[in-house]
Amino acid sequence: MNAVEIEHVTKTFGNFAAVDALSLVVPAGTVYGFIGPNGSGKTTTLRMIMRILHPNSGSIRVLGEEQLGAANDRVGYLPEERGLYKQMKVRDILRFYAELKGYRDNRAAVTSWLERLGLADWANKRVEALSKGMSQKVQFIAAVIARPELVLLDEPFTGLDPVNTEVLREEVLNLRRDGTTVIFSTHDMAVAEKMCDFIFMIYKGQKVLDGTLDSIQDAYGSDTVHVRLEGRPNLDGLPGVAKVTDFGKFQELRLEAGADPQRILAALVQRGVVRHFELTRPTLHDIFVRIAGPTETLGNGAPTPASEGRPHA
Amino acid sequence: MRKIVIVAVREYNAAVRTKTFLIGLLLMPILMGGSIAIQLLIQDKDRRYAIVDRTGQFFTIIAKEVDKHNTTKPPDSVTREETRAKILVEEVEAEADPDEQRLALSDRVRRGELTGFLEISAPARTKTQEKGDKAPEQPDELTIRLQSNRGSFDDFADVASRAISRKVQADRLEKLKRQMESQKDREKITEDEVKKIVAPVQVTPKGLSQRDPTTGKIEEYSGKDKAAPFIVPFALLMLMFMVIFMGATPLMQGVVEEKIQRIAEVLLGSVRPFELMMGKLLGLVAVSLTMSGVYLVGGFWLAHHYGFTRFFPVDLLLWFLLFQALAALMYGSLFVAVGAACSDFRETQNLLLPVMLLAMAPMFVLSKVLTEPNGSVSTWMSFFPFATPMLMIARQGIPPGIPLWQPIVGILVVLATTTLCVWVAGRIFRVGILMQGKGANLGQLVRWVVRG
Repeated sequence: MNAVEIEHVTKTFGNFAAVDALSLVVPAGTVYGFIGPNGSGKTTTLRMIMRILHPNSGSIRVLGEEQLGAANDRVGYLPEERGLYKQMKVRDILRFYAELKGYRDNRAAVTSWLERLGLADWANKRVEALSKGMSQKVQFIAAVIARPELVLLDEPFTGLDPVNTEVLREEVLNLRRDGTTVIFSTHDMAVAEKMCDFIFMIYKGQKVLDGTLDSIQDAYGSDTVHVRLEGRPNLDGLPGVAKVTDFGKFQELRLEAGADPQRILAALVQRGVVRHFELTRPTLHDIFVRIAGPTETLGNGAPTPASEGRPHA
Repeated sequence: MRKIVIVAVREYNAAVRTKTFLIGLLLMPILMGGSIAIQLLIQDKDRRYAIVDRTGQFFTIIAKEVDKHNTTKPPDSVTREETRAKILVEEVEAEADPDEQRLALSDRVRRGELTGFLEISAPARTKTQEKGDKAPEQPDELTIRLQSNRGSFDDFADVASRAISRKVQADRLEKLKRQMESQKDREKITEDEVKKIVAPVQVTPKGLSQRDPTTGKIEEYSGKDKAAPFIVPFALLMLMFMVIFMGATPLMQGVVEEKIQRIAEVLLGSVRPFELMMGKLLGLVAVSLTMSGVYLVGGFWLAHHYGFTRFFPVDLLLWFLLFQALAALMYGSLFVAVGAACSDFRETQNLLLPVMLLAMAPMFVLSKVLTEPNGSVSTWMSFFPFATPMLMIARQGIPPGIPLWQPIVGILVVLATTTLCVWVAGRIFRVGILMQGKGANLGQLVRWVVRG
């Protein structure tokens, strides 16, 4: 059973294609991370899953239904920017959102959620009195209060302190434990690496990555070497090295396709005393920057999205 | 449908529980109380009336009745003092030219020497009868005019009427007795005759006299009773106008707020745009009915207090509420569409201009409608849908009213227009509610409506 099936969906705004021929399958009960630079089409995709926007072409099935023009009570949504009435009291607004989702007998549930997220004292305060982190948590409760089967969280951790990030991370994992499918978008690659069963990256409206972290890293191969040499000599012009990035404490070498790490080590030894030599897989952060970085263009060095299969079944 | 109701309830609570709403509601009784307090203050002075008795029969009895009125007033329950002021009367010799005398006495009222003056004339004998005065049916029918700038609610009119009536009734009875003596066969008095005997004499309230600067003629301001039939229709029209725009403006600002705060996005994850808009509109209808309900009850109470209830018929109020609900939907949908098309509060001003022009349409022909409610301009304008609710109510309220088919056709015209407005607004709302950045101009709105 898949929670979301997107088939060849295109959404244009005027002449601009925000999402271009996108296909994606989100299996039920998983945590799916959406990454991508600002303006790449993440939010548009989430809004189409929410049926707030309708695709120009292609089809979207959500929880087995394909229906346009009707909001889905089985899906919860936390938008990127806060959507709370400032003048309303915390408890009232949560009950309002719960009722809109058809969850009428919600008083006890609202109370228990407020207690769990440490907001019990704020239940009768107006939203405008809340700090940013607190309103973020209220917004999160609003998204999950009606016990949806699928939850879409658009950058849920942005602007939270480490303690609150941890609280929300815990709740997201609780949701998955209860069988809820969670899709969230994030700019924090470390969070995506740690929490997501699958990672999906969209860039300029097109899918560039989709799979488990392992499969994505495998596709990029072990083409990265971290080295530290005494005296930090200049490493330009090493054979088989496409790019050198200096991180201060160590330097990162990106290897050309088919380059032999042993030959590079030999070349490094010629340059100075090698203190550290580590062949690593690229982090999600590296992969992200490689695809979307200012100096990179698609298909340079790394495997192109087109050649990349769907690593998971 | 249930979601529409949930949205409507929230909108209603959000509107009604604001401070401005409460202040508005509270101001009403304060203003009402204030006006009554002023009335009492004015009444708490001695009032002096001049009496021109052209019949020469009534001054003494009126003076006696006034004395009785002054002495029988109950003293204040707390202070044990006589708080209410006395009525004083003075007799003024009748002059040959009644108009000149009225002007002279009116000037005395204007100088504050008098509160008003009462003029009693027997029209059969003198030539004071004018157009507008009551035509005499009986020889004993008197013309009694009370000219003042106080309006028709003057207890001196009651006092004078009581005194004169008593004497007139006695005279009538005497006359009938003489008739019965001359006609030996009659023993019974018919019911009609009894009615004629006990019929009280009417005091006609009038404004003060003044000389028309162009014609040189001496005329009176139309009395308060002539103006009263216009007060209620005019008040109802203004009430509808005020209530709709007092309700619709915050509604529009609410839509803009939902856009700015991105609340719209959360809402649209749970309700369809049309449901959201309809919920808002129903909320507005409820808010506007609440406001006008409060004001109508207040107004009715005032009318009752001042004895205007006959100008406040219940069926007119029902028509008012019906028209007002439709007008709230019609104008509300336009305001919501404007709110959805704009991305900040300042932008709403430009798009609101055409809407306000439509709303002002009834105001442009208001004087025409009040003076000639059944003239062709008034009739045709009241079928212009954006003016229909307000103008129909005004025209219905002015005697003699309008044929029933007119408000019914009016309702149908407004219903059709409201449906169209809601449909158009729905299409604008659907596109606009998620738009960020620059607001739309009129051309873009038309495109949204046409293309969907």
